[in-house]
Amino acid sequence: MKINKLLMVIFVVGLLAIMSACVGNESKPDGDTSGKEGKGENESTVTINWQAIPPYSLQSTDENRVEYLQKAIDEWEAENGKFEINPMVTTSNISEGMAKLQEQAAQGRAPDVAMVDSYIFPRFYDYLQPLDSYLEEAGIELDDFFPFAQDVMTGPDGKIYGLQFTTDVRTLYYRTDLVPTPPQSWDEVLEIGKQLKEDGYNALMFPGGTDEPTVNTSLWPYYWAQGGELVDDEGNAVFGEGENRTKMLNALTYLQNLVDTGVTPSRVTTYGNEADLNAEIATGELAMFIGGNWQVSQMKEILGEEEFSKWGVSHIPHKDPNAKTTLAGGWVWGIFAEDEEKQQAAFDFIVHTFIGDKGMGNWATIGGYLPTRESVYKHESYTGNVFTDQFSEFLNHAQMRPAATSYTKISAELQNAASSVLSGGKTPEDALQDAWDAVK
Amino acid sequence: MKNESNNGAGIYKKAQRKPKKLGNSPVLWFIPLVLVLLLVFVYPIIEIIRFSFTDAGLIDRDYTYTLKSYFSLFTSPGFFNMLFVTGFFVFFSVTFQMMLGLAVALLVDQGMKRRLHGTVILRTAVLTAWAIPGVIIGIIWTMLYNESNAGVLNYILSFVGLDSGIAFLSDPINSLISVTFANVWRGTAFSMIMIYAGLQTISKDVIEATLVDGANAVQRLFKVIIPILSPVLFINLIVVTVETFNTFDMVMALTGGGPGRSTEVIALSIYNSIFRQFELGQGAATAVVLLLINTLMTVIYFKAIEKNQAVN
Repeated sequence: MKINKLLMVIFVVGLLAIMSACVGNESKPDGDTSGKEGKGENESTVTINWQAIPPYSLQSTDENRVEYLQKAIDEWEAENGKFEINPMVTTSNISEGMAKLQEQAAQGRAPDVAMVDSYIFPRFYDYLQPLDSYLEEAGIELDDFFPFAQDVMTGPDGKIYGLQFTTDVRTLYYRTDLVPTPPQSWDEVLEIGKQLKEDGYNALMFPGGTDEPTVNTSLWPYYWAQGGELVDDEGNAVFGEGENRTKMLNALTYLQNLVDTGVTPSRVTTYGNEADLNAEIATGELAMFIGGNWQVSQMKEILGEEEFSKWGVSHIPHKDPNAKTTLAGGWVWGIFAEDEEKQQAAFDFIVHTFIGDKGMGNWATIGGYLPTRESVYKHESYTGNVFTDQFSEFLNHAQMRPAATSYTKISAELQNAASSVLSGGKTPEDALQDAWDAVK
Repeated sequence: MKNESNNGAGIYKKAQRKPKKLGNSPVLWFIPLVLVLLLVFVYPIIEIIRFSFTDAGLIDRDYTYTLKSYFSLFTSPGFFNMLFVTGFFVFFSVTFQMMLGLAVALLVDQGMKRRLHGTVILRTAVLTAWAIPGVIIGIIWTMLYNESNAGVLNYILSFVGLDSGIAFLSDPINSLISVTFANVWRGTAFSMIMIYAGLQTISKDVIEATLVDGANAVQRLFKVIIPILSPVLFINLIVVTVETFNTFDMVMALTGGGPGRSTEVIALSIYNSIFRQFELGQGAATAVVLLLINTLMTVIYFKAIEKNQAVN
């Protein structure tokens, strides 16, 4: 009898523990890894759940970033005694993190304010709060943001739903001592590249693996510069039909030519992102590469000031030498909180730390990003680099990836297509056809 | 005597009639295990099978029940390539892991018997490869296979006249061989442990008898040792095969499935479908294909054990 009772007690206690754990999970927002209880339970304090990706959070490996963020939080909390910032960190896998955030938003469990990758920001319009009145009160003009950022921030109803605070741009880096005049077209790349190859250099490199940077640096700009469209107005893939097909085929054939002529070594297929090229840059045998603006600080670190001074930047060369199309990315803050008091507080914190003249200037300087507001480039808080003026000019020719849900599939299939062509595994025609068959 | 007998039967019947206590029943003890199994194994499998018959996405959970995911999977241009890549990867990984595992186990066994110095170090070194997480192994081999001037293997090969280097990971065929080779390196230790354990069970008398009969080393290996080890080898074969079919982490870190899809094994394809393309339905359908393969392997495994027990 005693054993029976004991077993029943253990069973019931275990069941209650599991149930309470389930209930407990519901009350805590996902992604809260801070371990901080917050003052939310205290009647006088309101907690603002602020979610960022690891490099933009207090978990960043860059001490300067952590120091800046901690100081900004402390300052803001001191000025706004009633509120407390609860830092939350999402996964470092961007695709996974954004998928989870969208799921949370759809279920009404999103943090009060969160970072969203700019190209998929339009998918969040339905869950976000309009910020027009807050922006007006803060005296920040929408027109001050670059046109591509305005497009992202403004919803289909004309209201402002986000604050893009960083951007980046893809560009051609070249060694000025080896390439006095940077190539402007594909033909010039091949011509200059062949000569460099004969001289013993790796002429041109770029990410060519099965990852997002491959299409960002090495396919979309070439395709868009010819007027190609990835999706139609309904978000359906169109890259494999009509004129779009020809344009995509042109871009893939160009990649094939680069490898076949030896201008680009096929080992670029082992490089999934721009930073993977750093080892090649360090050898001193790389003449040109296509990368991102954020690589300037990395290059200075790898090469030292003297060697770095040999490098210049230019537009990505296209089929048409007059085209200057490139790709811009970046991050946007969106406010999900329904409570107006929280909305105002979240907005104030974001402006204080990332969007205001000082905040954007400081954060862009520390992180090596490009500000999204043109006026910030002249602000004393922003210290750019030797290429900043050129990067900001490139941004005027920048396009962003489509926000359509079909994009992830399109991107994955064309990453495979580009990688297959560069490795010699498929012809451009077969690679494109396979990608189109998989997507359509 | 009669009374005693009657009395004994009465006690027995009384004991039989006695109501069962819950504490004496095994049911209650099994409840936690059954709950865990239901939650951790059965429920996820049912969900995967259910999702495989939907067009669900990872983000947008609105879905309809359809065979579209299976149709899309089987008609995908990459499906048969994925099966070929997986088949190649599994076949050669398992074959070489078994062969090398046997060779290392025999070496260690002989070393131990002859009390050679360094045998324990050799055994530990081999085991280390097994203990390292797959992602780390992927990164280690990425450095070894690096095709730039910083590549270790190409640098070594330059001393034997291969100055132009080998495209270990950028050539579609080479990359599949390279990934398989790295997996062989990783998995040999497990086979070695299994076979080494099996070798310890072989009677010394049997080996001595073959020596008396004048059998040479090769004859001893193929006519005596391997036949005795065959139950262990077979179980090892099944376990290693299932494990290799499920390999994902090392390939992910080493090539990410590239270039193109030349090293995309089934397990990696599931990850790519669900977490990179957000296609939960198609990823689940691919997972069901892998589940069927593993189920088949498990059935063979149990049949083999049954047969082995029957022989014994």
